Amino acid sequence: MQQKYNKKIINVLIFISVLFLSVIGYLTYFEFAVKNNIVSSSYNRRLWAREDRTLRGTIYDRRGVVLAKSELQEEKQERIYPHGSLYSHIIGYNSISYGKSLLEARFNNELLNINPLNPVLDFKDKLTGGKSIGNDLFLTLDHRLQEKAAELLGKRNGAVVVLNPRTGQVLAMVSKPDFNPNKRNLEKNWNELVESEVNPFLPRATQGLYAPGSTYKVAVSAMAIEKGLDAKTFQDEGSVVIEGKSFSNYGNKAFGTLDLTKALAVSSNVVFAQLGVELGADNLKELAERVGMGKKIPFDIPVSESRFPYQSMNKTDQAAVGIGQGKILMTPLQVALIAAGIANDGLIMRPYIVDRIISQNGFVVKTQRPAVLYHWTTREIASEVKEMMYQVVANGTGRNAQISGIKVAGKTGTAQNELTEKTENKEHAWFIGFAPVEDPQIAVAVIVEYSGSTGGGAAAPIARELMANWLGR
Amino acid sequence: MSLMENYRRPINIVALINLMAFGLLYFYQQPYDYRIVIVGVLITGIVYLTNILMIKLKYEDEILFLIVSMLASVGLIILYRLDPVLGYKQLAWFVLGNVLFFCGAYIYRKLTIWDQLIYVYPVLSLILFCLTLLFGTKIKGATNWIMIGSIGFQPSEIIKLLFIFFIAAYYRHPDKLTINNFPWYRRKIKLDSKYVFMFLVYLHIGFLAAQRELGTGLLFLLIYLIMLYVFDSNFKFFLANMGMVLLGGLAGFAFVHHVQVRFMAWMNPWADVAGKGYQITQSLFAIGAGGFFGTGIGLGQPEYIPEVTTDFIFSAICEELGVFGGVAVVLLYFILVYRGIKITLNIKDCFHKAVALGISVMLGFQSFIIIGGVIKLIPLTGITLPFISYGGSSLTTSFIALGILQATSFKAVGEEVTDAAEIQQENN
Repeated sequence: MQQKYNKKIINVLIFISVLFLSVIGYLTYFEFAVKNNIVSSSYNRRLWAREDRTLRGTIYDRRGVVLAKSELQEEKQERIYPHGSLYSHIIGYNSISYGKSLLEARFNNELLNINPLNPVLDFKDKLTGGKSIGNDLFLTLDHRLQEKAAELLGKRNGAVVVLNPRTGQVLAMVSKPDFNPNKRNLEKNWNELVESEVNPFLPRATQGLYAPGSTYKVAVSAMAIEKGLDAKTFQDEGSVVIEGKSFSNYGNKAFGTLDLTKALAVSSNVVFAQLGVELGADNLKELAERVGMGKKIPFDIPVSESRFPYQSMNKTDQAAVGIGQGKILMTPLQVALIAAGIANDGLIMRPYIVDRIISQNGFVVKTQRPAVLYHWTTREIASEVKEMMYQVVANGTGRNAQISGIKVAGKTGTAQNELTEKTENKEHAWFIGFAPVEDPQIAVAVIVEYSGSTGGGAAAPIARELMANWLGR
Repeated sequence: MSLMENYRRPINIVALINLMAFGLLYFYQQPYDYRIVIVGVLITGIVYLTNILMIKLKYEDEILFLIVSMLASVGLIILYRLDPVLGYKQLAWFVLGNVLFFCGAYIYRKLTIWDQLIYVYPVLSLILFCLTLLFGTKIKGATNWIMIGSIGFQPSEIIKLLFIFFIAAYYRHPDKLTINNFPWYRRKIKLDSKYVFMFLVYLHIGFLAAQRELGTGLLFLLIYLIMLYVFDSNFKFFLANMGMVLLGGLAGFAFVHHVQVRFMAWMNPWADVAGKGYQITQSLFAIGAGGFFGTGIGLGQPEYIPEVTTDFIFSAICEELGVFGGVAVVLLYFILVYRGIKITLNIKDCFHKAVALGISVMLGFQSFIIIGGVIKLIPLTGITLPFISYGGSSLTTSFIALGILQATSFKAVGEEVTDAAEIQQENN
């Protein structure tokens, strides 16, 4: 009897041990995984208590232009965004009523100089009663370029991403529509902004998901070269039927005999649909993975995962992916990274936007260094694709991106979307490119939503202006 | 005397931690409050005094009390930091608790009639329940306080012990509850003892549910199921009870609004942060603010957490002492349960064994229910954190329970042959 009880009692002990271990495990998990997502909630009164004692740090662009600052107004501090809506999709907002977003949320601890390992400094502040000042953020953005990008996009909805392909530094990033994050505007317009159909709170550059359209042909070309399909020539009669589904060129134009370079230059859907099928499901999946689809991009603000949602692919799917349509969806940032990867000899650099964090006494709290994110193709293949992209701008659909005296490489795209099936002239216009071809300093991705125009018509001029502006012409 | 030397070292650790914590509290406060030092010295003194007393009285398991001293010290430090007035009050309850600990242990050892009182326990419990329902005061949504003058006490705390004694007594005399001539539609039928027992147990839980003490109700259920599992030879009966509990839980979820609210607040507190999810999210903010190392005593803002001195005290510990501090507290409860179960294993008498097991699992489950609740591992059901939360009823009851556990350890060795080899053999 005794022994039987004791065996069961040991089981009870094991059960209770499991319970306690789960508590310890969950607490650890909470600290590592859950906490960071919740502490910036506007309901967390601690953040504001801290804000009463600490003047929030300033955010500067790469040349020291103030993009966000805090000022004391009658004992209360207010966050001021001198450029209104221009940085609303990068810096976000900092509001007592609505919480914090984007950089304001992500770098809250740094801006308020909250250091979990340093309660001693906290203690000192508390004793002296002095108002301490948070750290400043220096961004990689260029205010002039950012202004230019916003101006070029104008009232059209869409996004622009400008990167330094060598380092991954983001030089400008605009999403439209945007909103004014200053306190008075935000509180006045909040409900309208939340309910708006065009979704002005969506940072399109990092979280908008679009079919990449013909810009994806750049990636497909690289894979085709790798698999030795670049020596082939194709007959383009304006459209091709694959397993009962017809794929036709823009305007049903027939281009005749094409090699890969010419096919990219004229953006032949007929050729790339066939290339998609020839590469087959496995190669297309591998390509998607190599350029980072379905992976989280580590970035200073949240980025949506680009999607490659195929479990199995039939030939129609393969053809659709070959021309950047079908079910694949990418963020403008991701598309920009593909161009930057070609510009940077096949290496995609990790994008970043916060260059360094400097404390009030000039001490460097943190700096970000360039790092390789993906090796997506070889140097040789990248230089071949570069030349092909140069031909697109020199002789193909991307002529609108030409800059006199500078060799520009690029690729246009005109992406179908949910509206193009019902209405005409609703395609998204894409352009990706970089310059100068010999030593790329700038990579650009532009998307103009529902433009009703082609990538070459609507998006390429924006990219040209930005590249010319940055390269000083 | 090697025994004494072995047990002296851990107590120095308890004393050291106390002096450090109260020292920090003293230096943090401006202007300096000398009373903090007095409280710190008092607590340390009491801990030493009890320890010496226990060695003099030749108690078997000093470690048990040391664990609890540490827990109570953490509680006093945090309470004093939150609200000095509550700190003083809790110190008084702590002293009373220490006295009751020795009284409880002494009385339990001297009297031998405990298992004979099988009818007394449920009757006493039911009287207390009825009194609470009739004269109870509603505090924070639960009718579980009886106010005598300005002092309130929670009968459910005492009932916890009565409940454990009742179950233990039943397993010593499994047939005593049989009712032979139960009138049923003009016939007399015989009600099996087992079913009468079961009915009485669920009656307890029903009363708790009626008072909206979900946490305590859950605790009773868990204790009952564990006792059933260990002491009932009929495994099917245990499974049947498990099934009933599950069905009851589902029914509660389907029909009782405040159960649904708790469950939804657990699933997604962010849906209504300002309302139903307020408590749990504030608790999570506190734990998040502390990080692994904590903000340091007195440097956090635990006052933002609702009910921080009672149910949510663990969140305050996590904020100021860090997750490491929280884990240390969890581990203290764990070794407390372990020591309790170790004692249980050595007891041969069924009644004392059941009492010891009941108390051990009670302390274990009670801390799990509330800690798991405030960290959002399980739905939140209010209950005190034993030895740490503010509250006289809770603290004194926990000390009495500990005293009884200590006394059963005497029974373990005192009444049986203390042949270690034999025990060893049996355990294998």
